[in-house]
Amino acid sequence: MSMIYKVSYVVLGGSYPGGIRNEQHLPRVGSTVKIGPRVFHITEVHEMMAPRDGFQFVQATVAPVDQLEHADEDYW
Amino acid sequence: MTDIIETLKRVELFHGMDERQLTAVAQIVEPCVYAAGDVIFEQGQDGDALYVINSGQVEVRVQNDDVTDSAVYLGDGQTVGEMALIDQAARSATIIAVDEPTTLYRLPVAAFTRLCQMQTDIGYVLMRNIAQDLSFKLRHRHSDIKRSGGSGV
Repeated sequence: MSMIYKVSYVVLGGSYPGGIRNEQHLPRVGSTVKIGPRVFHITEVHEMMAPRDGFQFVQATVAPVDQLEHADEDYW
Repeated sequence: MTDIIETLKRVELFHGMDERQLTAVAQIVEPCVYAAGDVIFEQGQDGDALYVINSGQVEVRVQNDDVTDSAVYLGDGQTVGEMALIDQAARSATIIAVDEPTTLYRLPVAAFTRLCQMQTDIGYVLMRNIAQDLSFKLRHRHSDIKRSGGSGV
């Protein structure tokens, strides 16, 4: 079985909650991810814990793609 | 049944189980489909099942006093309601489907507990994996608190 990436997505700054999900590929800096209803850019990826039994544990920090579009909202 | 087993193989909660064990678990699974905005369960309700997210996302909302906060969004392969297997206490959060559709596998606690008691090897793997999953969620939560300027433990 191929590696499964269990990813903790953390939104830097502000109060918007992050997310956790399994991914089939390692997240890449610069790519986008939908967390809840909003889309974010991935800005940093690092290993969170040592890999175990086919699972790799990763944390990705993200920033909103639509930051300007939603500048009047309070999540950022 | 084969589809369910293949999904369970990709869920950390069931990792380390062989085909026989996964088949036993799959036999008590109830597939569920939710529309965006549907409440899967509410904080304070009795915990009668745990859920595995097959596709889509759910929002975890926690109410403290009169304030309701969105704690985290959970997606593919994550579990919600697993604490009910351990403490049988009331739900600690409200879970709401985000995506259209959001599909989950429901595992009734009573049937799951019976299975674990009859096949203790399944019970051992399951409890170990629940502990590891809760550890991951705690680490995520600590990072989330730090980034928002709080004081992580």
